[in-house]
Amino acid sequence: MPYHFHLIALALYGAATALALAPFAGRLAVPRGLLLAVPSAGAAFHVAGLVQMAPAGLAFGLSLLAFFIVVLQLVSERLLRVSAVALFTAPLAAGLVGLALLLGLAPTGESAGRNVWLVLHVALSVLGLALLALAFIAAALYLLQFRELKAKRFGQVFQVFPPLERLDLLNRSALVVGFPALTLGVLLAVGYAVRFTGGFRVDPAQVVWGLFTWAVLGAAVWLRVGRRWTGRRAAVLSIAGFGAVLLVYLALKITTPGTERFL
Amino acid sequence: MSLTVTLVGVNHRTAPLDVRERFAHGAHEVPGALRRVLEAGASGGVLLSTCNRTEFYLSGASDATTDAVWALLDQRLGDGRPARGYGYLRRDRDAVRQVYRVAAGLDSMILGESQIQGQVRDAWELSRGLAGPVLHRLFQSALLVGARVRSETALGRGAASAPSAAVALAGKIFGDLQGRQALILGAGDMAELAAACLVDAGVRVTLVANRTPERARAVADRLGGGAAAQSLDDAWEHFAVADIVITSTAAPHAVVTWARIAPAVARRGGRPLCVLDLAVPRDVEPAVGQLENVFLYDLDDLQAVAGQASAERRAEIPRAEQIVDEEVEHFWAWHDTLAVVPVLKEFRGRMEAVRTAELERVFKQLQHLSPDDRERLARFSESLLNKFLHEPTLALKREAEAGDGYLLVEALRKLFHLERGE
Repeated sequence: MPYHFHLIALALYGAATALALAPFAGRLAVPRGLLLAVPSAGAAFHVAGLVQMAPAGLAFGLSLLAFFIVVLQLVSERLLRVSAVALFTAPLAAGLVGLALLLGLAPTGESAGRNVWLVLHVALSVLGLALLALAFIAAALYLLQFRELKAKRFGQVFQVFPPLERLDLLNRSALVVGFPALTLGVLLAVGYAVRFTGGFRVDPAQVVWGLFTWAVLGAAVWLRVGRRWTGRRAAVLSIAGFGAVLLVYLALKITTPGTERFL
Repeated sequence: MSLTVTLVGVNHRTAPLDVRERFAHGAHEVPGALRRVLEAGASGGVLLSTCNRTEFYLSGASDATTDAVWALLDQRLGDGRPARGYGYLRRDRDAVRQVYRVAAGLDSMILGESQIQGQVRDAWELSRGLAGPVLHRLFQSALLVGARVRSETALGRGAASAPSAAVALAGKIFGDLQGRQALILGAGDMAELAAACLVDAGVRVTLVANRTPERARAVADRLGGGAAAQSLDDAWEHFAVADIVITSTAAPHAVVTWARIAPAVARRGGRPLCVLDLAVPRDVEPAVGQLENVFLYDLDDLQAVAGQASAERRAEIPRAEQIVDEEVEHFWAWHDTLAVVPVLKEFRGRMEAVRTAELERVFKQLQHLSPDDRERLARFSESLLNKFLHEPTLALKREAEAGDGYLLVEALRKLFHLERGE
């Protein structure tokens, strides 16, 4: 069953991608209700698939990340009317669900995987990562819109992308909410390791990547809130931070053997 | 009662501005003008008067009524030229099509502009007491047609005029313009127009700076919001706090230079600044646009935004016209049913009279009936009559809606010797 629910979610995320791209294909802008309804339906099937899986493994992690990204897109659209975010979130979610399907979604049945500490750790860490991804997307849209406005090009990007200040607000909010989520996720991982495994017997690569991501997010929040970075500089910071997190992940994945449960 | 719909009007396609402005009626003049026209013989009228058009919509108008409209317009023109030479006369479906096209923005100077929708509503409300049922329905449906065209096509999409392009550009930087601060340099008409559009969108003009402070004061007063007035030389510091700057001075060279405003911009902490240079020759040095987070646009840029929106809107004309045509047919189907209403009314009245007379005759013959029995008998006769008339009534309405009601109406008149009403 998780497979079928994921498959339906994948199809709906694909449809959401097509709807987001419609204005660029010379079509009329899609009604906002439809832009919300299609990914919402996808998220409903997605969550039905997720609850039938054990919260462990790379496939689960990717699927959960995709789910959070879609939920965050829907929340951002409701609060800030930033439909163009779906241009990135919808294909990203579809890609992550597709990858999860390829990796196999069979429940692992690990008893440890059902521990509340671990479930919360995974959920909060992945939520933090999804918010970092959302901050990256808002920053990317910001830079694209910034470039169009500076270059006085008034094409589809100008028309379809949200206003700069709204994207800046989305970027800031995603970072500010993402940091405590990730911090709590890291603390729960430490607590879980100490309480249930008798020490830090976890994958060192996982620890390195988790702490690096936390540090990057923390630095970004400090610069945005503490140093009041805004606009283009803040957007570049978000993109650089997200890029660094991805690069470190890939580097660890390639250089460190035995990281199948990583993410 | 005649049910024709007639339009007598003048618009931006048929008359120059100096003629149109003489025909324009203020809100207080509308009822008087309409009454004068209706006295010549019409059952209803609505006067739509904007800067781009003066149109009298009339129901049941005769030639004398249209002559009365032309006479009124001749009088307003006041120089002996006949108003008829600047106007047009449309009847029935063409008149309905015109009001639908107007409400949809298809007949506007700026294609698809939405202001006309409110003007059509105002005209209808101002004329409501004199409109009559046909025009009441016509204007109600015109507003729905306007809304339908705007929701189903991209006719109202984008900013199609330079001032609205200014609002669109500022909106793409700041999103919500409510409470944003604007600084006006110079007191040109275009700057004032753009500023007025921004004020409508919620922007607060905090300062108007001009070479002559008196002129700055006048513009500030017109824009409202308690804007201060200063000389140009005192304005540069305000670049640190304003969100939007509109320049339109008559200076022959750039007055807003990198050197003058860079120190103030550096204090903005990365907040964006939108500079709209509406002057010819330009007021703002191009280097200003290179400053971080400063977005500089001139008149050509605004016209590019407006022009692009116009092109997109023009592409939507066929779809919008199709909607208008569909709606004209809907209205006309309803309008056709009106022709049968008086006949049906008279027919039912005649039948009711027969029923009442027969009932009286029966009551005289059956005097022993109790009041309850009489009541029952009366109800029975009523019910019988309604049942007899139900199907023919529906058939007549159906045929009328399909545009074929005339023959049945004629048959009814002949069969029951009904009056031939106008």
